[in-house]
Amino acid sequence: MMPRLLVLCAFLAAAAGCDSPGGPPVVVANLVVTAPGAGMPMAAGYLEISNRSSEAIRINRVSSPEYGSVEMHETLIEDGVARMREIPVLEIAAGDTVVFERGGKHLMLMQPVGTPETVTLNFYSDEVLLLSINTEFAASFD
Amino acid sequence: MQARNIVVTLLLGLAIAAGLALALRNAGGPAEPLTATVLPVGNELPDFALLDQDGEPVDRRVFEGQWDVVFFGFTNCPDICPATMTVLGQAKRELAAQGREPLPRVVLVSVDPERDTPEAMARYIAYFGDGNLGLTGELDELRKLTDALGVFFQKAGGDDVAYGVDHSTVVLLIDPEGRLKALFTAPHDVTNLVHDLPLIMAAE
Repeated sequence: MMPRLLVLCAFLAAAAGCDSPGGPPVVVANLVVTAPGAGMPMAAGYLEISNRSSEAIRINRVSSPEYGSVEMHETLIEDGVARMREIPVLEIAAGDTVVFERGGKHLMLMQPVGTPETVTLNFYSDEVLLLSINTEFAASFD
Repeated sequence: MQARNIVVTLLLGLAIAAGLALALRNAGGPAEPLTATVLPVGNELPDFALLDQDGEPVDRRVFEGQWDVVFFGFTNCPDICPATMTVLGQAKRELAAQGREPLPRVVLVSVDPERDTPEAMARYIAYFGDGNLGLTGELDELRKLTDALGVFFQKAGGDDVAYGVDHSTVVLLIDPEGRLKALFTAPHDVTNLVHDLPLIMAAE
C-alpha cells in the first residue's frame, strides 16, 4: 500500500537544518496503519521515518484528525514480559532512519472519530509541522 | 590370497555396515520441537470461574476435549497482542492447509478484565479466525489461572481509562485433558509453530 503524501513539509528546512536540495528533510516510507474496528478499539501505525537534513530532529507530537489521540510507543520484551512505553520525544540523527515495526516502536492511534476510511498523520517538532501524510488502512493485520 | 580375500570381504562388510548406519541416522529418529518447551508430565490447571466471549460461565473444563494454544493479552493492546494472535491464526490455517489433525483452538485470556467485556472479546477474537475462544471475568478468578501458570500481568501507566498492561508473551499449549503440555516463548513464528505443534500433539 503506497501512502499518499499530502504535504511534505518544508518549512522544516529551518527547523531541521535542511540541506537536502531536491527532497524534503523528513520522509516516511512503508507506512501501514492497521484497520480500525474489527474488534480492535485502537489502531497501530508502522513506518520508516528518515531525516535527510544535516541536523538531528526531534519529534515530540503526532496527531491525526481521525483520532483523538496518537502516541509514539515502544514494546519492550524483558524476561518474557511485554512492556509498552510511550516515547515522549523521538530523536532522529542527521541522515538516520528510525523504523517503527511490530514488536518494537509503533504509533498507537486511539479514540477514532467516526469511522474513518483513510488516516492522516501529522508529525511535529515543538509545534512545527514537519510532515503530514495520508494513507489508506491496511486490509488486515496480517 | 585367501587372507587377502578375507580382508577385502571384511572391509566391504564394514563399509556396508557404515553406510547402513549413516542411512539410518539420516532417516532420523523422532523429530524434536524447534522452539517449544514440552513438559514431560502435563500440569493440571487450577479451578477458576471466568466468562467466555458469549458471556457464558466457564471453568477449567473449558480446556478439555481439544488442544488449545493460549495467549494472555488484551483488546486495547495495539501491537504485540494482535501480532501474536495473527501468528497463531496463521499457524492454524497453515496446519489446516496441510491437512493436519487435530487443529488447536486459539484462546485469548484477557489480562484487562476491567475493559474487556465478553462483547469486546467476541469482536476481537473473531477478527483472527473462526472457532477462537475468549476468556475474561473477575480479576481474582483470572489470578487463579495466571498464578498457577506463571503468567505475569500488571497495569502500567496511563490513567483510569487509557492505560497499558504489562503481560507475559508466552503461548501455552493445553492438551485435551486440560493440562499444560508445552510452552512457546516470544518471538512467535508461524514456521516454528507449524513444525512443533503436530509433533507435540501427535506424541500425546
